[in-house]
Amino acid sequence: MAYKPQFGPGTSVVAENRRKQMNPDYQLEKLREVTDEDIVLILGHRAPGAAYPTAHPPLAEQQEPACPIRKIVEPTEGAKAGDRVRYIQFADSMFNAPCQPYQRTYTECYRFRGIDPGTLSGRQIVECRERDLEGYAKDLINTEVFDPARTGIRGATVHGHSLRLAEDGMMFDMLQRCVLGDDGVVRYVKNQIGEPLDRAVEVGKPMDEAWLKVHTTMFHSLAGTGFREDQEYVEYVQRIHSLRTKYGFMPKEE
Amino acid sequence: MAKIERAQKLFLKSLKEKFQDQDVQSEKTEFYKFGGIRQSPRKLEFMKASQAIEMQRGIPMYDPERCHLGGLPMGQRQLMTYEVSGTGVYVEGDDLHFVNNSAMQQMWDDIRRTVIVGMDLAHATLQKRLGKEVTPETINEYLHILNHAMPGAAVVQEHMVETHPGLVDDCYVKVFTGDDELADDIEPQFLLDIEKLFPATSAEALKAAVGKSMWQAIHIPTIVSRTCDGGTTSRWSAMQIGMSFIAAYRMCAGEAAVADLSFAAKHAGVIQMADILPARRARGPNEPGGIKFGHFSDMIQTDRKYPHDPAKAALEVVGAGTMLFDQIWLGSYMSGGVGFTQYATAAYTDNILDEYTYYGMDYIKDKYKVDWQNPNPDDKVTATQDVVNDIATEVTLNAMEQYEQFPTLMEDHFGGSQRAGVIAAASGLSSGIATGNSNAGLNGWYLSMLLHKEGWSRLGFFGYDLQDQCGSANSLSVRPDEGAIGEFRGPNYPNYAMNVGHQGEYAAIVGSAHYSRGDAWSMNPLIKITFADPSLKFDFAEPRREFAKGAIREFEPAGERSLIIPAR
Repeated sequence: MAYKPQFGPGTSVVAENRRKQMNPDYQLEKLREVTDEDIVLILGHRAPGAAYPTAHPPLAEQQEPACPIRKIVEPTEGAKAGDRVRYIQFADSMFNAPCQPYQRTYTECYRFRGIDPGTLSGRQIVECRERDLEGYAKDLINTEVFDPARTGIRGATVHGHSLRLAEDGMMFDMLQRCVLGDDGVVRYVKNQIGEPLDRAVEVGKPMDEAWLKVHTTMFHSLAGTGFREDQEYVEYVQRIHSLRTKYGFMPKEE
Repeated sequence: MAKIERAQKLFLKSLKEKFQDQDVQSEKTEFYKFGGIRQSPRKLEFMKASQAIEMQRGIPMYDPERCHLGGLPMGQRQLMTYEVSGTGVYVEGDDLHFVNNSAMQQMWDDIRRTVIVGMDLAHATLQKRLGKEVTPETINEYLHILNHAMPGAAVVQEHMVETHPGLVDDCYVKVFTGDDELADDIEPQFLLDIEKLFPATSAEALKAAVGKSMWQAIHIPTIVSRTCDGGTTSRWSAMQIGMSFIAAYRMCAGEAAVADLSFAAKHAGVIQMADILPARRARGPNEPGGIKFGHFSDMIQTDRKYPHDPAKAALEVVGAGTMLFDQIWLGSYMSGGVGFTQYATAAYTDNILDEYTYYGMDYIKDKYKVDWQNPNPDDKVTATQDVVNDIATEVTLNAMEQYEQFPTLMEDHFGGSQRAGVIAAASGLSSGIATGNSNAGLNGWYLSMLLHKEGWSRLGFFGYDLQDQCGSANSLSVRPDEGAIGEFRGPNYPNYAMNVGHQGEYAAIVGSAHYSRGDAWSMNPLIKITFADPSLKFDFAEPRREFAKGAIREFEPAGERSLIIPAR
């Protein structure tokens, strides 16, 4: 019988959102249209239109060792071309941001190839070949896993995820890489590492509170759904812990 | 599990003090208007001091408004003050870096400069091998000589350099024994009087454990152990012990029996505060990485002073342990810089961990009828997986809800590792106190970590999470190299050796199991007695209060050098 991923336990809307985001068969809803050029500007790794810097010659032009794994695994386009490995890093507010650090990692592992995610409490980084990254970044910014006010694209000095929100509903960013305009549109005025951009990049209007509440993937008893309310989820974690504890003894099947 | 009502929020006063004139339950606030670091008197002081130093030495120094992020200094949000938990003293975060806090330095100095050396072997050598008489009078005379010699004075030689007493005034030796009759004959200034220092039941247990043996609690000069290292302590003390025996018992300085005394003082009869570490960590004995958690929870004396509050006793171990293991051991011996302090202080500031832990106390009393304010082994709950799961889950969920309900609380602990350590500590302490079993407490810690990670989809930083996501499997099983009962674990235990925010809490969980049973000690009665000494510079019964004194610059440490440097 083929393995069918279940993606996670839980009866709550948070649990359901987590499963949707992870499930590669689920089409993430597209909510905005940030252009390829604008993505490149926010990332800050190369100038728009510039050639991709390379870390090695294209695979087709270099002698590849006889390796069975290389025969099994189809390289990504970035790997084929010899692109550098670059990154995008997100900070997700604990006030109902649609995606959250571990959720990002799980989601990316199910949906993307050739990635190296790293998960922390306030931020999550994913690294991969540069042209692959630009494609993945587009998905991560243009779809329902992103909110212009509660999700930050931040290479360094990332704190804000756990802070109160600013009066205008924006997550704190010491560098104020993005600002909410009078027209209600959020614009990036600095790239993710904090270097000023030559022109502002629009990432759209923040989603409203009701939308955030039903699309978030984090439990929160004040802003959304309390963890305690999803009994199935809590019991499942207890079960995992109990089994791990038991298997520390390496029990043998009789 | 079922949430219980607890009206008192121990952290509220701190929050209201920190976020004055603000609604501490509001989700929104203002940023970017605080004037950067100039909102902090301490950082202004640093800038002023740095300017004077620069003028003197001609080399630039502290320049945060230029060097921090190319001109964006810290303080785009409110720079918070912190209450050292349980003290009512508010300090700036900078005051809790050990470089800025003399009490923190002294706590570690007092541990590193301590060894315990048995007298029985030496007395046997004197009596059986040399036929000398050992009596209370000779012991008192020996102790008088030893307290002359230990700080760095000569007792046999006729032409010898010596140390200035004003520089080594923290150095002395006392003794203790379980033999009441012998104790009565020791001059009081040399005696650690177990009867007077401990509650009656603990004193009886400790005296029974020590028996008729006599031990020396030795504290070499702070300045010596600082200039050298922890490995020096037993060597320095053994040299002065040997010379003092020669002087007190009129021995020949070169006779072979002296070697027996030296061997006893350096090896056979010595208790180090910490074990030597493997080569890749490259530390001698009496360095922080080798302190077993059981020993550390014996060094901290809060349970002796507050025997009816095992939660407070454990919280003081958390404070002392995070300072030593996170700020000094991992934060400086093994790494460097300042970030570790920000992590560690979360566990002993603003009464947040205190609130979560006392919620756990209310819960175990309400549900399991554990009379935690009357420590005894009889009402402890059997440490089953279900019990640990229930307690750790409830304490974890409550703590997460407090962070959620009070957004300023979340902002206070703005880093995930801070929150994870605090929530898991409360869960582990509650499980440990309810069951009287340190490994059950550790198991509760790991369930808390898994719940936290799933609930918020985040935990600590990269490395922080590693041990917590595999810890369930090694919290109860005990196999060589892979597990040990909590008391025997330590900062260099394989799964614990690498990151901040755990080790002090683990030590507290170990201690909590014993404090809740009313045990007189956790692992070693000799260490428990040694650190009960009121003559120590640092009061090991009140580590958080001492840290607060250090922060407000009222703590008087040892290691003074003003006697030998020009006046400023």
